[in-house]
Order: sequence, then structure tokens, then C-alpha cells
Amino acid sequence: MLVADDAVLFREGLARVLADNGFDVVGQAGDGRALIELVRADPPDVIVLDLRMPPTFTAEGLEAAALIRGLAPDVGLLLLSQHVEVHHAMQLMTDFDRGVGYLLKDRVSDLAAFAGDIRRVAHGDVIIDPELVARLVAKRRRQDPLERLSTREKEVLALMAQGASNAALADTLHVSLKTVEGYVHTIFTKLDLMPDAREHRRVRAVLSFLRQQ
Amino acid sequence: MSPAYAADPSAGQVHPAAWSPDGVPSAAREAVVASVGLIVLGLVGYGLTFDFHVANLHNGILALVNAAVGLYVLRQRPGHVLGRLFVAVGLVSGVMFFGRQYALHQPALPGADWFAWLSIWPVPIAMMLVGWAVLLFPTDRPLSARWRAAGLVMTGVALLLALSSALWPIEDNWASDGLSFPFSIGGAAAADRVFAVVLPAAYLSFIVLWAVAVAVRGRRAAPEEIHQLRWFAYAVIVVLGLMLAGLVVAGTPVLGQLATPLIPLAAGVAVLRYRLYDIDPIISRSVVIGVMATLIMLSYVAIVVGVGVLVPAPSPILPLLATAVVAIIFEPVRRRAQRLANRLVYGPRATPYEALAGLSAQLDAPPDDVLAGLCVTVARAVGATQVTLWVGDEDELRCAAAYPTEPSEAGSVALEDLRATDLGMTSPITRRGVLLGALVVSHPRGERIGPAERRLLGDLVGQAGLVIDYRARLHEVEEQTDELRRAARRVVTAQDEARRRLERDLHDGAQHRLVTLALELGGIAGHAASTGDATLQSRAEDARQHLLEATAELREMARGLHPAVLTNDGLAAAVANLADSAAIPVVLSVSVDRRLPREVEAAAYFVVAEALTNAARHSGAEEVRVTLDERDGSLTVEVADGGAGGATAATGGGLQGLSDRLAALGSRLVVDSPLGCGTVVRAVIGCG
Repeated sequence: MLVADDAVLFREGLARVLADNGFDVVGQAGDGRALIELVRADPPDVIVLDLRMPPTFTAEGLEAAALIRGLAPDVGLLLLSQHVEVHHAMQLMTDFDRGVGYLLKDRVSDLAAFAGDIRRVAHGDVIIDPELVARLVAKRRRQDPLERLSTREKEVLALMAQGASNAALADTLHVSLKTVEGYVHTIFTKLDLMPDAREHRRVRAVLSFLRQQ
Repeated sequence: MSPAYAADPSAGQVHPAAWSPDGVPSAAREAVVASVGLIVLGLVGYGLTFDFHVANLHNGILALVNAAVGLYVLRQRPGHVLGRLFVAVGLVSGVMFFGRQYALHQPALPGADWFAWLSIWPVPIAMMLVGWAVLLFPTDRPLSARWRAAGLVMTGVALLLALSSALWPIEDNWASDGLSFPFSIGGAAAADRVFAVVLPAAYLSFIVLWAVAVAVRGRRAAPEEIHQLRWFAYAVIVVLGLMLAGLVVAGTPVLGQLATPLIPLAAGVAVLRYRLYDIDPIISRSVVIGVMATLIMLSYVAIVVGVGVLVPAPSPILPLLATAVVAIIFEPVRRRAQRLANRLVYGPRATPYEALAGLSAQLDAPPDDVLAGLCVTVARAVGATQVTLWVGDEDELRCAAAYPTEPSEAGSVALEDLRATDLGMTSPITRRGVLLGALVVSHPRGERIGPAERRLLGDLVGQAGLVIDYRARLHEVEEQTDELRRAARRVVTAQDEARRRLERDLHDGAQHRLVTLALELGGIAGHAASTGDATLQSRAEDARQHLLEATAELREMARGLHPAVLTNDGLAAAVANLADSAAIPVVLSVSVDRRLPREVEAAAYFVVAEALTNAARHSGAEEVRVTLDERDGSLTVEVADGGAGGATAATGGGLQGLSDRLAALGSRLVVDSPLGCGTVVRAVIGCG
């Protein structure tokens, strides 16, 4: 895998910790251009990269990710950021259909969970930071359609928004795949959403639902 | 004259060029003038050595006055037809005066009847000469070819009458003055019958013709001519009034006859000197006094006589009552009479008071408009053809306003050059001894203005000084305001820049270090778990959690300073984020398609943030509508809730900071919050 971040201390620390936890960190980069060179030379399975990097410190991570997806479509892309923004998540769900994640940088300190996230992204899953989803779920609405959902259904909805597949849902909630499919169907019906099997579409639909009034 | 009109003209700083009379008359002309004058003087003087006859006195006075006025006019304006007519009337009147004096002498002098004849038959000739003067006054030309024809008919009729009068004793004077006709040619009885009707009819039609001529001329006249006609008309009305008063009170026309010379006198003034002597105040006063006297006399008589008949009362009471009533009605009547007089005198032209009042009403307008308005006011008030207002100093004046036409050249001109041109009368505009500009007033055919207009012009020029001064100060204040605004904008921009830098420093520095530390602690916890050190693992895990809480706090702080999303992704994304995390449902409507200047985005963002916080805290509303609309170079930010209302700038302390921020961008925060009707916070920010 590759690690890209302009903060050297953090990058080095992350690479070391990841290496300690069984990841094969084959290279590090301080900005998008250097990262793309590394990918060109030898495409890894997965890349952990910072959203905000030189030279403009805006969303170079997203641009680099899009370029890399063009170069090597199978490389998983996990974007880290000091703060997570809904419109970035939506953009990711629009531009990428699989193997992409968007997490708060803080998540790296819980190594076990973070390692799992990296593996899922490398595997092709979609991951959205729970804080971002929590913010949207907690949002007050004038006539909140979420009121129609049971507590359990809300829990499922939040996990769906974070990118969990049906299998992951069943695993997390310790229920059968059949039960999960039932939950998902009920939620989509109650919220008037179109069911879509493709994960990124599903995440996007749920996110935009959560965002609207 | 209204009180405002009486303002000190010296305040106006008008220095019009001095009036210059025509050149020195030639010796030959002086000789002719002197001899004609002597002839008339001789006729009247010699005539006066006979007896005194009141009924003939007016002829003598007419002779002297007409001759004097006519000769004076001719001396000033050689070849002036009106002057010649006056001299002719004077000569004829002199001959008539002398003849009558001679004829009336007791005991009878030799040839008295022939002198009487000489004093009577030229009457129609004198009438005809006066008629021509009326038809030609004041321009020296008849109104039209048709009026010239009317004059010729009048001449023919007058000559016919004079001829008849020379042949038969058809005038009343023969009988009334006890004179005898010098010869008899027969047909006298028939002539008497015919002319008893024809003569008065002809004289009456003459007078009607003159009245119509004056009325028509008055309607068609240019302002200058109206001025001249006014002198003339005033004299005629006074004479008629005195005639009427004499006939009513004393039953004799002598008073009116004696006043007749006022007419040629007024005509002479009108021809030569109307510019120097303003008749408007005289007419105005006369009208007021006349109306007052009539009304007061009528009310007095009505009360003393009328009420006395109805209610018998002790004699001292009614006059006292009448006096009291008159005292009470005096002032209102005077005011109305004054208004009537103003209307008569100033007509459709603005009265000086109105001119100044109209100008004052414009003072709220931008100073340049006021200057333009000043030019219009001056042009209308003094009947100028062109008024141009120049602003600047002695050596460099620029045209600031003009009416009706703007000057073609935009360059500057020195005051001396302006004076030297023949554009018109140049009045320097000064204030506190400093030259601020000049007003150039042009009149038709190089004519000059009357004293009343000059006083008014003085007042208006004084106003112009004030306006120019005000304009300069306003310009200064505007420049200072601009400079202040630019400074405020620089301050706000610098402040935003500092906040952005701080946010970035937090992001790149402290936050990264803390997250790296958390990463290390996570590593330590993992390591402890693998070595079975549960205590270390739990302590490291606790420390990691605390550190994450600290980074979360720091994150929120950085966002409050200056959200990175605003810098990186723009207003729409940042405001959507605000809506996502607002404690109240937000209906968002954003039509901003481009990135706006940083300070504009920041101002709009903080307006929405502050308003949303206040709405969530105080309004109790169910939802808030946030609208951002960018069009035609300005961004409208509006946050409206349907809550309790009653919000003031004091409700949220943050509003003051926002106001300052907006003020730096030349915008203003409007908080509309009627009690019980919700709150609307709005700002319109220019964004180029």
C-alpha cells in the first residue's frame, strides 16, 4: 500500500504503525503529484491519502484519487481529512463506484478499526465516516420522515450511509442476511427511496436523503 | 414686495457692469431740441400771463410734459418715433393752450375768435398723435400690418374730423367756454346734427382701439416689453382712477385732466429708464392700498349706515364697532390683497419669493442637480436666454451647470476672460471672501435686467455660493468616507486573512501533532495488549480518547475561526454545512454559481451563521429560510424565520460585529423583526 500526506511526522508515524500491523507500506508521498508517480511505477492494492495537500491545500486528495482511478481502477482509495464535509462525501459517491473511503483523520488512532477499514476499501467497499452520518441523522427536520423509522431501522440506515453492504450489516448487527434485506426494504419503502444494489448509489441516495429537509 | 424679496442684495455679491448711456448728442441735435423746447415754453409761458383758467390748465401741462419727455427721448435716441410723436403732441397742445388762453382773455383781445378756432379744431389731430403713440408703444413699430392699417384709418378719420371742426363749430367747447366761431359757411345746423353723433362715436372708437392695441400687445409681448407696458398701463389706470374719483366726489373732470401728463411721463420712463426704476413694487403697493382703502371704506359705511338703520344704537357705538371690525379684518384682507397684487405684478413668472422657495426645496437633491436647478431658476426668474454656472478659482473656472443649453467646450476659462466675452452679465460667486465661481446670465439682444431681477439674481447668486461650498464639502466628506471604507475593508480583509492563517496553522500544526500523538498512543495501546499489560493498555486508551476529544474541540474552534470549507469550496458549500449542523430546520435556496471575493463570502457566511444561531436560540420558529442570490453584481443574503420576532441588533451581540464587517463592504445589515411576525435579517453586498 501507499501513504500520502504532507505532514511528515504523521505520515511516518502512520506508515510505521501500519507496517507494525502487517501492512506492506511500499511508499510514501508528500503531495498528489509524487503519489501519482509512485502509482504509475507500481500500483498498490490500496492508498491512504490526505484530502488537503500542497500546493493549494484545498481538495488535492480528491483530484489525485480521480487520476489514480483512471490509471489503476482497482486501487482502493481511502481519503483522510481533519474535518469531514457532506459535499465531499457526495462527490466521492458520484465520482467513484467502489473501493473508496472518506474518514476523519482521528480514526487512525484506533488501529484495529482503521486496519479493518483499509482492508474493506482495498476489497472494494465504500466507507463514510460515522461522524458525518451522525451529524446528518441528528439533524432536525420540520416533518422528520426518520420519525417513521424504528430505532433499529435508524441504526441500519446510519450504517448504510457509512457504506456498509448487506453482508457487513448482517455481520455488524449479528442478524441473518435475510433479516437485513427485510430492514433495508422497509427503510427504502418508508422513506420513498429507490432501492439500488450498488453500494455507492445506495450511500449517495441515503446521504442526499439525510441532507434534504 | 414680499419680505423674502427684501433680503439684503449686497449679500449676493453681484457686480454687474455699469449702465452706460448713449454717446454725447451732436450740437445740431441739441440746437433743434433747444429751439422746440423754447417754442413750447414760450407758448405756455406767454399763455400763462393771461388769466388763469382751470379748464385749460391740462393743455398747458400736457404741452410741457409731452414736449419735455419727447425731447428728452429724442436727445437720448435720435430718430425715435415715439419721441417725435410726444414732441408733436406737446407742440399741438401748446398751440391749443395758447389759443384758448388768448381767446378767453377779458376783455376780449383782437382776433380772439380766430385764436379760439386755433385752440379747438386740432383736438382730433392731438388725439390721432396720441393714438399713434399708443399703437407704436413701446417698440416703435405697430404690432402688425393690420394694426398699421388701423392706424391709417384712424389718421384719416381724425383728419376728416379736424377739417370739419375747422369749418363748423361742432366741438362742445364753443358753447361751454362761451366762444364764438370766427366765420360761417352755411350748413352749420346739418353739421351739428351729424357730428353730435359722429364726434363722440369717433372719439370712443379711438379709445377702444387703443385699449385693444395695448391688451393685444400685452399678450404677445416679450418680458422686456411687458415691463415697459406695465409703466404705461399703471399711469393710464391711475389717471382713469383719479378721473373717476374726481367725477364721483367733486363732479368735475379737472382732477383727471390734471393727472393726464402722468401718461406721457410714464411712457417716457418706460422707453428710456424702465430698467433703472422698477415699477413692480409701486404697482404692488398701489393695488394693496387701493383694495384696502375700498374695502375698509365699504365695510365702515356698511356697518355705520346699514346696521344703524336696522338696529338703532347710541351714536358713538357704531363707529367704534366699525373701527373694531376694520381692525380685525385688516391683516387678512391685506394678505389677500398682497397676493392679488403679486399675481397682477409678477403674473406667470415666479415671484422672487417663489424663486427662492423653489430653490430651497431642491436643496435636498444632489449638489450637481441643485446647481442645474439654480440655472433653471435664474433663467425663469429674470427671463434670461442662457444661464451658465462656472465653478473654480480666479484662473480656472469650469462649467458646472447650464440652462437651457450645455456649453460645447468642456475646457476651463479664467474669470477675466469670462468677463471679457459678450456672453452676458458675469456675476462672481464668492463666499467668505473666496471666489467659488461665476454666474453668466445672457439676455436677448444684449439687453440688461431690471433692479428687482438684479436683487433676485443677487439672492440666487448668494445661494449658489452656499451650494458650491456645500458641494465641495460633500465631495470632501465623500472622499473621506471612501477612504474610511477602504481602510475598514482592509482591516476586515486582514482580519479574515489572519483567521484563515490561524485555521491553517491549527490544521497543519497542532491538529496534526495531536492526531499523530493519538496514533502513537493507539500503537502503545496495541503493543500493551499484545504484551498483556492491561493497565498500560487501558491508560493509553484513555489518553487516546481524551486526545481525540481535544482534537474534536480544536476542530470546532478552527471551524468557528474561518471554516476551511468556505475557503476551499465556497459560500454554497459552507452555508449548506451550516444548514446541516443548525439546531433548527433550514430551507436553503442558493443561486450563487461562482466564487465571490473572499471578504464577500466571509461576510455572507457569518451573517447566515449568526442569524441561524439567533433564530435557533430566540425565535422559537419551526424552520428558517436562508436565501443567497447573486445577480447583477450584488449578493443578497436573507435569513427569515416565522418566529416570535422582536429581535434587535442588541439581541445578538454578534450582529454589531456583522454590521461593522458589512459596513466595510459598503453594505448594511437590515433586521426587520416586528413582534409576533418573525424576523428577517438581510444584507445586500456588492460583489462586482
